[in-house]
Amino acid sequence: MSQLPIYGMMAEFDTPQRLMDAAHHTSAAGYRKIDAYSPFPIEGLAEAIGFESNAVPLVVLIAGIVGGVTGYVMQYWMAAVSYPLNISGKPYHSWPSFIIVTFEMTILFAGVAAVLGMLALNGLPMPYHPVFNVPRFAFASKDRFFLIVFASDPKYDASSTRNFLETLDPRAVMEVPS
Amino acid sequence: MSATLHINQSELAAPPVMATLGQRSLVIGLVFVVVCAFGAFTSPHTFYSAYLTAYMDWLGVTLGCMVILMLQHMTGGAWGLVIRRVMEAAVGTLPLMAVLFIPVVLGIPYLYAWAQPQALAKDVPLQQIAHSYLNAGGFVTRAVIYFALWGAIAFFLLRWSAEQDTSSQHSTLRFRVVSGPGILIYALTISFASVDWVMSLQARWVSTIYGMMFIAGQVLAGFCFVVVMETILSKRKPMSEYLHPKEIHDHGKLILAFVMVWAYFNFSQWLIIWNGNLPDEIPWYLRRLNGGWAAVGLALVIFHFVAPFVMLLGRQFKRRTRTMVWIAAMLLVMRYVDLWWNIEPVFSPTIRVTLWTIACPLAIGGIWLWLFARNLRQRPLLPLYAPHVRELLEPAHE
Repeated sequence: MSQLPIYGMMAEFDTPQRLMDAAHHTSAAGYRKIDAYSPFPIEGLAEAIGFESNAVPLVVLIAGIVGGVTGYVMQYWMAAVSYPLNISGKPYHSWPSFIIVTFEMTILFAGVAAVLGMLALNGLPMPYHPVFNVPRFAFASKDRFFLIVFASDPKYDASSTRNFLETLDPRAVMEVPS
Repeated sequence: MSATLHINQSELAAPPVMATLGQRSLVIGLVFVVVCAFGAFTSPHTFYSAYLTAYMDWLGVTLGCMVILMLQHMTGGAWGLVIRRVMEAAVGTLPLMAVLFIPVVLGIPYLYAWAQPQALAKDVPLQQIAHSYLNAGGFVTRAVIYFALWGAIAFFLLRWSAEQDTSSQHSTLRFRVVSGPGILIYALTISFASVDWVMSLQARWVSTIYGMMFIAGQVLAGFCFVVVMETILSKRKPMSEYLHPKEIHDHGKLILAFVMVWAYFNFSQWLIIWNGNLPDEIPWYLRRLNGGWAAVGLALVIFHFVAPFVMLLGRQFKRRTRTMVWIAAMLLVMRYVDLWWNIEPVFSPTIRVTLWTIACPLAIGGIWLWLFARNLRQRPLLPLYAPHVRELLEPAHE
């Protein structure tokens, strides 16, 4: 069997606090390409592994503005340009009656963009991911906490990274084949 | 970290700054009470409308905190536990608010057309309304019922909360037994109260969403007041130990939600009345969009909705008291402006700011804040024996 390229080095922890400590230490040790897995959200963990922000809010904001403008312009064009109707003597461009659809279009565009933007940016759906090559990783959805240092990290070295992770009081350290 | 925490209730006492706040508020309050008492006798025609506005504003903070407190008992969650004592101290001002309602009763002949014989004489339908519902006797009777119901809710929630400070043995079920129906009772009573006290200023004008607008405004006022207080408290022990960005974030999200609910209700009323354009309804807006009042309405759109809405969209903005406090303070001012724009145009077709417009909120607010600070200092700042409180004091997720 040929040797597979290595995806990273994974450490398994018993408690969320150990994972948090390990994430802080790994960051402090200069590793930048790291990730953490836990059965439930842990406050502060994202910041501990160096997460700052993502582009989803920006995508949602832009889509919301586009949706709102589309909704308003569409109604303006229909009611005042394409087929002007005199409704109870009000001006063709009666903005209060346009607001509801404008609002709904804002929400529709922003909501759809939130889902699609999230999927586009996190790469889901993903039929294959190397971390599942580690059999014990199944416990990440149960009661274990995992930290991985990716092989793409400039500081990554199979033996020294393993030794470093061993110092963090893990339950086990495993190499992840790609 | 150790599994058990040894925390003394005395370590959870409110910081001394609350005593200072209380004293200074009382001085300001008493000075302006004298000014207001002078106004009530010398110029009742301009005084009572300002008094009603200021009264509804501070009642909004009180009742808003009461609803949030009941909501916290129903849903639980760290966002509510960290501010529970602040809300309880605010709810504890209800007896004061009941007493301060007396000037509103004294002002009935100056405030309400249905109580003025010369207005009744030329308006036959109004005579029927005044005969069956809007009359001084009914007004006072209904007010007594509202305050009795609110007082009962407040009494039990505060009393049981005090008992909870002595041991962890007490069940929390009874809080929920009162809070669930309490929220419903609040929604119904404030709808009736807003009709009686504010909507009936224009006795022939009807808006079915009016009570909902008061609910949205009062809950918003409650949250904004809480954020201002937690800004002061979180700079000092003990709150600095347990108020995290996550909880401030939750308060920010709730304020954003209620800013939007307030705008939604107000726009709904505007859209329906503007669309119908009926002579029964449209004068309410004509009155408030002429004589300079339109500028106030526009300020409401901008500072009560657009500006807070845009600023509260950002995540980082909502996670810091340093930024949230400005939004909260601005919205508290805009709550008063909103009520002023609802009430004052009834009495003055052109924009009018009197001495009482400034003095009344300071008089009521000064005394109110003094009582609030006093209530807050009497109890630990965290309900130590409430479920999940100890998790707040421990390091994250150990």
